[in-house]
Amino acid sequence: MTSLRPNRVLVTGVSNPLGAEVARRLAPHVPYLFGCDVHDPISALEEMDFVHADVRHAAIGKLVRQLQIDTVVHLAVMVDSPHDQRSIHETDVIGTMNVLVGCSGPSSRVRKLVVKSSQAIYGAEPTDPSFVSEDMTGAERTGSSVTRDLLEMEQLITEFALREESCRVSVLRLGFRVSEDTTLARYLSLPIVPTFAGFDPRLQLLHEDDAAEVIVRAVLGDHPGVFNVAAHGVVLLSQAIAIMGGKAAPILPPYGFWIARMALRALTRVDVQSHLADLIAYGSVMDCSRLESAFGWKPAHSSRAVMDSLARGKQLEVIEAPSPPQEYELQVYLQRRRREARNGHRKPPVLEAHR
Amino acid sequence: MIQDATPKQRKKNSKPAEIIQPRVGLRLPKPVRRLQRQAPLLALQGVTELSSRLKQVTGRDVIDLNRVMNFVQFLYKQRELARRGADYAVDDFGFDPQWTESFLDVFMVLYHDYWRVETTGVENVPANGRALLVANHAGVLPWDGTMIKTAVFAEHPHPRHVRALVAGLFLGMPVLSWFLRRTGQTVGHPDDTRRLLERDELVLVFPEGVKGTGKNFKDRYRLRRFGRGGFVATAIRSRAPIIPVSVVGSEEIYPMVADVAPLARFFGLPYFPVTPFWPWFGPLGMIPLPSKWRIQFHAPIHVEDNPPDAAEDQNLVMALADEVRDTIQQGIYDNLKLRRGVFL
Repeated sequence: MTSLRPNRVLVTGVSNPLGAEVARRLAPHVPYLFGCDVHDPISALEEMDFVHADVRHAAIGKLVRQLQIDTVVHLAVMVDSPHDQRSIHETDVIGTMNVLVGCSGPSSRVRKLVVKSSQAIYGAEPTDPSFVSEDMTGAERTGSSVTRDLLEMEQLITEFALREESCRVSVLRLGFRVSEDTTLARYLSLPIVPTFAGFDPRLQLLHEDDAAEVIVRAVLGDHPGVFNVAAHGVVLLSQAIAIMGGKAAPILPPYGFWIARMALRALTRVDVQSHLADLIAYGSVMDCSRLESAFGWKPAHSSRAVMDSLARGKQLEVIEAPSPPQEYELQVYLQRRRREARNGHRKPPVLEAHR
Repeated sequence: MIQDATPKQRKKNSKPAEIIQPRVGLRLPKPVRRLQRQAPLLALQGVTELSSRLKQVTGRDVIDLNRVMNFVQFLYKQRELARRGADYAVDDFGFDPQWTESFLDVFMVLYHDYWRVETTGVENVPANGRALLVANHAGVLPWDGTMIKTAVFAEHPHPRHVRALVAGLFLGMPVLSWFLRRTGQTVGHPDDTRRLLERDELVLVFPEGVKGTGKNFKDRYRLRRFGRGGFVATAIRSRAPIIPVSVVGSEEIYPMVADVAPLARFFGLPYFPVTPFWPWFGPLGMIPLPSKWRIQFHAPIHVEDNPPDAAEDQNLVMALADEVRDTIQQGIYDNLKLRRGVFL
């Protein structure tokens, strides 16, 4: 076997926040870094060569071969997105298939494949054990379309890993993340949060930093297999809502979840997908002991800390070391300008405008 | 973050306190607000007065003031708990010990006054370390589980929380799922049992499952099949002793005379009971009858002395399961003899 040190790395889905963060962290460690996505990158990275490419198109396989990639980091897997079921299926299943086509065959140089999967693969059911471990996915768990897509995707990856013995495959089932733009975060940040009457499930979350960190560790290290990745500890849904400063309103009917989802969308304009509806009714918690023993690392933030950091982010940006009063004023001024620029009230601050 | 090392610095950096604007909106007039504040005290005074009057008239304690004070305490405890806001922690199974202990007051009333539970052999429950409690299951609703939990918490010299395993079906039901999880119950899955035992908890299982609670009144003292002996295998693997528990009295709380299977199927329940009071009297039929209860904790069966691979030996596992079953069945008969009558 050749050296497992990644040399030419391709990151798919590099324009979503997680992909951008992974690329940023990988850049100092790898000689050649490539990124591809449908959209423009959200942050400029000098060390990375960006390619406009759609994983749904078979061209991605050619790209992998032409660029002589030896490590593929496949992050173009949609779990929580505003797109419709069909395009999620296209991206997750067909996209992964195209990437795998590029990685397979005797001519392939790909030695390592890291795929982002999700906790959503387990679904959430009341009869589930309190902690699901990696081998507890089943064919009967076909609750939501996302769960089905992820199961199909991982099936493809398992077959690939069996077929291509020279390629080390790591699948990371990431826990639910609550950064500003995820559905779960938007749902929890509502001032009055409609919940299912009579249910208060346990939630297990994952911090964005930890998610990026584990992907980077999987790329740089050698950890083949499937791993659950989530923060330790749990928070109850009611607790999470209280941390965010909202009020829980147990008004959704506990039977017939599609009615509840429609009501939720009408009331709050947050479209909770069916796997998330199951989650906020029954909850799902993963057992991450395999990750800890294989990686020798565990997420730095607990579920509670993830929730706290989301709540803090909701209030204000933290101002670092504001000791002299003038500097404090300046910080506040700049922060206000930044915020207004972001919200589209005013133009971003121009340096010479300050007299 | 502002980190002030010395009081001087702190003083320098401190800002004047923010003036909080009074709450806008409707404000009740002052006398009404005063009355609102004093209402609990006035109510208590009224009850005390009434109690002393009644004592003068009848010559007996009609209202037990201790009981009233217990109730008031319970209310205040609930208010304190509500004030925690988000500042509490549950364990990974969703168990909130503080909250559970506040509810034990309610169960204590049922335990001491309603069912007059007599508990024997509680010293067989270890003060620390793991153990698997195995009990018989009867009565349409699992009140026996709550009483075993209360017994260990109230009678044991070292109060401990028992973590019962319940059918996944109940964890899918509205209020129940929330209440059961929060009071330390978890789903009856071998993986959960193992995890709880490895944390040195007391775990309670009902191997009869819903077949036990749904049994007909005429079979009330006869144990059902004990699953496939899975609980023994788990106990051997987790190196935990098994403590058989016999409960007598739970059989009579809802005398189930028939099971309407089509209705049960319609509501997605394991059985739809018909008792002399349910469903004829509506919610009133759900009040359990005040039978006399006895709970006996038997001497531990040390299955952990077997080597761990004995868990694969189906012969041994079934033999041990039978031993546990016989101990419980014998315990039921013994306690029935000790009980003077069903409601005495």
